[in-house]
Amino acid sequence: MGGMRVSFSTFELVRLDETLWEIPAGLRPGMRVPARIFADAELLDAIVDDRSLEQLVNVATLPGVVEAALAMPDIHQGYGFPVGGVAATALPDGVVSPGGVGYDINCGVRLLVLPLAETELGKRREALVHELSRAIPAGAGRHGPLGLATEELDAVLTHGPRALVTRGLCREGDLDLTESGGCLPGADPGMISDHAHARGAGQLGTLGAGNHFVELQRVECVFDPVGAGAFGLQEGGLTVLIHSGSRGLGHQVCTDYVRKMDSVAERYGIVLRDRQLACAPASSPEGRAYLAAMAAAANFAFANRQAIAHAIRSAVARVLGREAAADTRQVYDVAHNVAKVESYGGREVLVHRKGATRAFPAGSSEIPAAYGRAGQPVFIPGSMGTASFVLAGEPGSMERSFGTTCHGAGRSMSRTQAKKRIGGAELRRQLEGRGIVVRCPSNRGLAEEAPFAYKDVDRVVDVVERAGLARRVARLVPIGVVKG
Amino acid sequence: MGYCFVDHGGEVEVELESSSEAGIFEEALGALAELVSTGEGGAAAAHEVELGSRDRALLLVDWLNELVFLAEVEQFVPEGVDSIELAGDTLHASVRGRRGRPRHLVKAATLNRLDLRQEGDGWHARVVLDV
Repeated sequence: MGGMRVSFSTFELVRLDETLWEIPAGLRPGMRVPARIFADAELLDAIVDDRSLEQLVNVATLPGVVEAALAMPDIHQGYGFPVGGVAATALPDGVVSPGGVGYDINCGVRLLVLPLAETELGKRREALVHELSRAIPAGAGRHGPLGLATEELDAVLTHGPRALVTRGLCREGDLDLTESGGCLPGADPGMISDHAHARGAGQLGTLGAGNHFVELQRVECVFDPVGAGAFGLQEGGLTVLIHSGSRGLGHQVCTDYVRKMDSVAERYGIVLRDRQLACAPASSPEGRAYLAAMAAAANFAFANRQAIAHAIRSAVARVLGREAAADTRQVYDVAHNVAKVESYGGREVLVHRKGATRAFPAGSSEIPAAYGRAGQPVFIPGSMGTASFVLAGEPGSMERSFGTTCHGAGRSMSRTQAKKRIGGAELRRQLEGRGIVVRCPSNRGLAEEAPFAYKDVDRVVDVVERAGLARRVARLVPIGVVKG
Repeated sequence: MGYCFVDHGGEVEVELESSSEAGIFEEALGALAELVSTGEGGAAAAHEVELGSRDRALLLVDWLNELVFLAEVEQFVPEGVDSIELAGDTLHASVRGRRGRPRHLVKAATLNRLDLRQEGDGWHARVVLDV
């Protein structure tokens, strides 16, 4: 493809269209496919400030990678793969890379809709946020609310949230409104180490630290009434967004398999630009074992968000009554870090999404029937204190990005810089001054996630909409934050 | 000699320096302790750690990951080592610390841009932590 060539930092990028840029495959030795970035000029300026493009180019060297290594507009530097990266490898022998999924396997988001408007919540808002913070342990280790015996944990790893139905923690209807029904096939607890089991045993239903949060939000604005109607969203209504993942269990699975694949890459003739890209053919014993372990960790993450959703409904019952809790409805639950077998153009590929969201369009057989005409819901959390978006998948995602869109605002500033610029206590005061109730045990943790440490989420969403990957359905603004 | 946190857009990058290779492992413990400690004092505790890896750089990552595991599962906040022995690509250490409620900030030590080398009279290492 032709296009205007623009030099950014050490890379010369070709502008393919209004929102798509390319680093041609021949630019660096070893690249098997081009690297493509969805961005506008301003976001690109921020992107070239860190090592994310170098990391994307490294991804383009992986054996079996097809079409292009892709970056969403919220891309930023990660470890090995960039965050906001997408890579599809041809099956059966293209590689699977645990680092291409990340440590927090199936870190993702779930959106609930409360059956009342902000005006009806009134003065009970602070009590609700406080009750949410009491109900959801943030980062507890062995002392989470749902200690699991080994066989119970294995059932969760195998079946995901379905294993929680008999404990009264999961409604059947929630399963239909979860990506892949909340259960990735092929999960095998036997492929998970004792260390991973030990880390997971006490952590179901816990939020975790870092950028994980639960946010009480008001639907500020609806862009797409049809989509909003399908998802049950109304202007002035209330939602709760859950952002968490597979906790220590998933982290340990990634640790174990990066190490394992680092030891076998040479045997498969794989030359790594960075050891963190350690990988093996998906069809190899190591590849199959990882995919079985990853699926189990992903199922744990779906169940973790399910248990948190149950805790939220319990908190709603205490503050707003049982009827409100019963009518608190799940919109959807989507993964941000996962590898899945999908089919594009008649070819079966393994799509690695590292800080990216599946965004299937209307008509896809993979999304709930209720959303068949609207497209798959996608939730894009902004930074703490700024807006989040509900999007819906568009056909362009299938044509251009392996059914994928962005996952958030994307960091633009290190945690150290953020802490230098503002103290946690001051940030808490500022957020509360804007009418946001904040519950966070650590001022340090709060400062690290300051809103200015992230890119402008409106701009990120604008790019994916103009690129045809997803369309805006609604904009949500925070009125309460519970942080790990 | 010591450790410092280098600016990283998404994660935490740690640079380590020491006069000895074993000292690098001690500095790594110090860096991790700074990240996970909440400053609350609990009962004194100790752990023996034995590890074997393909090479010394990977051993450094394994060391940090074992400390992350102990922090999360045993609620162990490391404070220092009473002894540390490196032989071939194995490590044996006696770690002292306290029981507490460590922050669950560090998910893992990664192999991204991993580096461990002797430079002049000292040793230098770089590890990126996923947080």
